[in-house]
Amino acid sequence: MSAPLLEIAGLSAGYGAVPVLRDIALKVDVGEIVTLVGSNGAGKTTLLRAISRTLGARGRLAFDGRDLAPLSPEAVFALGLVQVPEGRQLFGRMTVEENLLMGAYRRKDAAGVAQSFERVYRLFPVLFERRRQKAGSLSGGEQQMCAVGRALMAAPRLLVVDEMSLGLAPVVVDQLLGVLSDIRGEGVTVLLVEQDVFAAFSIADRGYVMETGRIVREGKVSELAQDPEVRRAYLGVAEGG
Amino acid sequence: MLFAQILVNGVLLGGLYGLMALGMALVWGVLNIVNLAHGALIMLGGYAVYFLFTGAGIDPFAALPIAMAGMFCVGYLLQRFLLNLIVRSALLNTLLITFGLDVVLTYLAQLAFSADFRTINPSYAGANFTLGGITVPLARLAAFAVALLLAGLVWLLLNRTRLGRAIRATAQNLVAARLYGVDPRQLYAITFGIGAALAGAAGGLYGVVAQITPYIGTSLTAKSFVIAIIGGLDNPLSVVLGGLVIGIAESAGSLYLGPTFTDVISFGLLVLILVARPARSLRTA
Repeated sequence: MSAPLLEIAGLSAGYGAVPVLRDIALKVDVGEIVTLVGSNGAGKTTLLRAISRTLGARGRLAFDGRDLAPLSPEAVFALGLVQVPEGRQLFGRMTVEENLLMGAYRRKDAAGVAQSFERVYRLFPVLFERRRQKAGSLSGGEQQMCAVGRALMAAPRLLVVDEMSLGLAPVVVDQLLGVLSDIRGEGVTVLLVEQDVFAAFSIADRGYVMETGRIVREGKVSELAQDPEVRRAYLGVAEGG
Repeated sequence: MLFAQILVNGVLLGGLYGLMALGMALVWGVLNIVNLAHGALIMLGGYAVYFLFTGAGIDPFAALPIAMAGMFCVGYLLQRFLLNLIVRSALLNTLLITFGLDVVLTYLAQLAFSADFRTINPSYAGANFTLGGITVPLARLAAFAVALLLAGLVWLLLNRTRLGRAIRATAQNLVAARLYGVDPRQLYAITFGIGAALAGAAGGLYGVVAQITPYIGTSLTAKSFVIAIIGGLDNPLSVVLGGLVIGIAESAGSLYLGPTFTDVISFGLLVLILVARPARSLRTA
């Protein structure tokens, strides 16, 4: 096994004097789908901000063996660590095609960009049909597809997907999860940050459970799904809701 | 026939108004800065073309690209080293700093150029032709054509180029634009530079059809403001359309009500439009 693609150890971070993350350890190997689950306020988004270097943090933070601490957010992005942000954050008054092009803003290889276009349109045929439409006029599910597609246009090595299922119909969530499985087959590693534990566990290999700024459980999702604590706290709630 | 003549006058004037407002609308839409020094930048552009014409003997229309290049640099540097401090901050901050800039530029212009009225007077300044009983001044027609051309170029830049896409993306969602590698500081400086270049071109054309003093800035800022709101901040072509509306209204109003009423007309029209269709006008403002 080669070195992990993303490696986090002993990571602490917070806002001002308020610590949010304490001693986080997490790793993602090449070709894996790893999920990070936890309820609202557990610190998932804070961890993502630390990873993308938009928030300062102490501890080890490495991507492909390279220390991220001295890098700017732009430089982290350039290494291939690409986020699909929570809430999609599309350019609403630009067309679907223009949104996708913005994902490839930093790329210079025209041939590679054309290939990425082809891949995104193959994964999401509806985006091809609506490529001349304003992104703001799409349905919620289509907007999320556009957001994932835009991130894929950046040729990610690690795709970090934040709260993809939020506000979407289950059938749309399933379709998006299917796409994440497909792109894993094409060499893209995925870190899936989710409140919907059922959805996340359905495609992930391994999972981390976060509570009040700490990782409290980790392991294969098949094992986590059997864990009594996890069942009570997350899957139980999910079944009830 | 008189009405047709007024319409032509208004349209020719309105094209130039549209160009004046274009730079302001672009900066407003992307940087969220209501640039109160926009008129002062127009004034500087006017002097640049004036001195290129009187000093170096360059035809004013040929001098426009030179003035635009110079004004782009002025705008770029202003944004990079001054206005980036307040970009996307509270509106009051941007108003204060650009108002201050307006005062400084106006005063410096008065020191450097004196308060004399100046007109850019090429040999063809008084030339005109008559078409179906309507007199068309040649210089005004040329200014109108240049204004339309520049608006078209801005539209192409925004809608057909990588830079334009990044400018629009930053205007619509700064967080996402940064997430995908756009450097907003650089982009803001370029955008402000383009806005200043457009102001420079408008100033040069203004000098051909009207008189320049260091004090023309304030009223031109006000006019640009009105037109930017009427035309919206999204589309250069609709800004030009807003300019035409104001141009026609002013030229009709100055005939039927008297020339002192032009500002009443443009601001009255603004109030009417905001009352009648506030949602459309302010959607992007």
